Formats: sequence, structure tokens, C-alpha cells
Amino acid sequence: MKESTKMLLHYITGLGIVIVGGIHLFTVFLTGPYEQNLAFSGGPYSVISVYRSFILALTLELLLVFVDYHALNGIRVILIEFHQGAKWERGVSWILAVAGLLLFVYGTRTILIANALA
Amino acid sequence: MTEPLIPQLKKALFGWFYPFKYNIERWAYALQRISGIAVTGYFLAHIVETGNVVGGLDVWSTPPTSYAQDVWTATFQFLDNPMFDLGLVVIGFMLTYHTVNGIRLTLAEFGFLQGRPARPDFPYTPKSFGMAQRAIFWLSVILAAATAVYAINIFFGA
Repeated sequence: MKESTKMLLHYITGLGIVIVGGIHLFTVFLTGPYEQNLAFSGGPYSVISVYRSFILALTLELLLVFVDYHALNGIRVILIEFHQGAKWERGVSWILAVAGLLLFVYGTRTILIANALA
Repeated sequence: MTEPLIPQLKKALFGWFYPFKYNIERWAYALQRISGIAVTGYFLAHIVETGNVVGGLDVWSTPPTSYAQDVWTATFQFLDNPMFDLGLVVIGFMLTYHTVNGIRLTLAEFGFLQGRPARPDFPYTPKSFGMAQRAIFWLSVILAAATAVYAINIFFGA
């Protein structure tokens, strides 16, 4: 992937985070008592209620994908600014890509299991 | 050929995080990078924390709901102390700053609010960092401070 494509994706995911991250923070802080929304169950926006709702679980999944890319690409930018060289750049990019994939799988697993909790 | 690691690291950290003697854009840059690293740390912790609620790496099938509820309640009680609350206040500040300043950077990236090129005259104020961009930078600082106050009110208010 070209460097400019990676950075374009960085800006797109950044704007995506503003939207879905806004929804995430909205459901936690602005939809009712904070204690109720951070309780495991009991309210319409309590922890497990959010995961059980398909739409809200989907926003969490999108947030996971966006933040995953944005954060790891940010680290990549820092690391290739720290030291230059084709070998270093390839190594850093691949290691972070694998780390990002593992985080994505683990986070998706959390969302899928929490969505299926009886 | 390449410098040894420690001097290289020292040089890099000074170059990134020593904004004194430069203009305000350098502060914006250093803060953006520090807040990015901080929020990444929060993101990783958040993935681990929520993953533990459904069993972590030990359980690879759907656990009973009561199990998840117990882990969630235990985690919530463990995190409910002034140290973590203070950490969340800082994360709130960092997150808001990174968001609003990030919008400024996105606008600049796509060519908005850049100012017109002009002859460089003393005292050499950068045309690329004009009034509009300065306004958004200060807005990001103000909103970040407001977020911190909001968080302090939630965690430490009556």
C-alpha cells in the first residue's frame, strides 16, 4: 500500500472515530444516570444492553476497527520517524499489522460473545 | 553508519517533546503525539478489560451471563478508586484535545485554512498557521479543559 493511501485511511478512520466514538460516549454519558449506564444490566444503555442491541454492537465493532487502524498507524508513523530505512520500515509495518489483526480478532470475539450472552 | 540507540532515542524525544523556544504549532504537535500515545494505551487496556468480562483468553465459548456480570462488577469495583479516576480525567483531556486538534490537522491536510503565501518579513509568523488554525488549536485546549472539568465533576463531585 502506498504511504499516501495509508495516511488517507488515517484521516478517514479519524473522522469515523469522531462519529462512532461520539455515539459510544453519548450512550455512556448522556442517556441517563452514569451509574446506571455503567452497571452490568438494568437500563436501556447498561453494558450488556448495548452489546445485545445489534445496531449499537455494530457501532462498537466499527469503533474497534477505526481505532485499531488509527492507533497502530499512529505508532507506525512515530516509529518510522524515529529511524529510517527500508528494512526497519517493512519490519515495523508488518509487526504492527499483525498486532492490529490480533487486536481486531480479540475485540471482535468480545463483541460477538457479549452479543450472544443469554 | 547508524547512530547507537540511546543517543538516537534522546535526540528523537527532544525533537518531539521539547516545544520550548518554538512557536505554538510545536506545542500542538507535541501534545498531539503525547495524547495519541496516551489514548492508545487506554485503548489497549480497554480491549483487555472488556475481553476479561467474557472470559479472557481462558474461555473460548460463551460463558454464563452470571459469570460476565460477576467479572464486570469486580472490575468496576477494582477500578473505582481516586487513582484510576484521576487517570480517566487525564485521558478525557487527551481524548478531546486529540479529537479537535485532529480535525484541524485534517483540514490542513486537505488544504483548508492554509493562508496565502507572502513575503517573509520579520518576525516571520508562519502563514500556514494563521488565525483560523490558531483559533481551532485554542478551542481544542479549551474543550479539553472543559472535558477534564466535566470528568472531575463526575468522579469527585458531590
